[in-house]
Amino acid sequence: MQDIDIEVRNIVAEIVEKSPEDIKPESRFVEDLGMDSMMALEILAAIEKKYKISIPEEKLAEFKTLNDTLNVVKENLCKKDNNA
Amino acid sequence: MLNIEEIFKILPQRFPFVMIDRILELEPKKKVVAIKNISYNEEFFGGHFPGKPIMPGVLIIEAMAQASIILFYESKDALKGKDMVYYLGGVKVRFFHPVIPGDQLKLVIEPLKILSNAAIVKAQAFVADKEVASGEMSFVAKEDAK
Repeated sequence: MQDIDIEVRNIVAEIVEKSPEDIKPESRFVEDLGMDSMMALEILAAIEKKYKISIPEEKLAEFKTLNDTLNVVKENLCKKDNNA
Repeated sequence: MLNIEEIFKILPQRFPFVMIDRILELEPKKKVVAIKNISYNEEFFGGHFPGKPIMPGVLIIEAMAQASIILFYESKDALKGKDMVYYLGGVKVRFFHPVIPGDQLKLVIEPLKILSNAAIVKAQAFVADKEVASGEMSFVAKEDAK
């Protein structure tokens, strides 16, 4: 796992109040981890703060698993690097 | 900057649950500063605690939440003229000092993320420039379908 994978997993774990080991890359946030829309918003805000990126609201619907979330974060980080 | 009559145009809460008296600063999408004057006549002091009046921390959270509603509403042109209800989703707040009769509670709210129907904010409460509580809260807004 890359650092970013671990960091994002830790953010998700803290907000859904589970230990990081319980969160698999393909665990479904809502069905498997009991996440609701408010927790998704908290994850979005925590990620934005940590990586200093801005993720558009439409992307929130794509936060279905840890893998999906990482894809969105990495995509945004690439954009940020290209703009730098 | 907003007096109580103007606050009532935005806030759905009414007596005895109005936890802000005035808005001092308002910068849509950026910041709101609100005040609540704490008097011994507050009903809750009768029981919290008899002979030792301390404002309940949950009501400081409520004051933060109401100031956040003002910030959210004023940041959203689409909400103008609509009756909204607000649901608190999550709160993470720490308290540093008790708030007692005679204090003026100052609430400072800054958004961390505002979505079309929800927001997460950073909230701080001060008494005479001393921080008495701070934290984060998330809430969702829905149009009142009455």
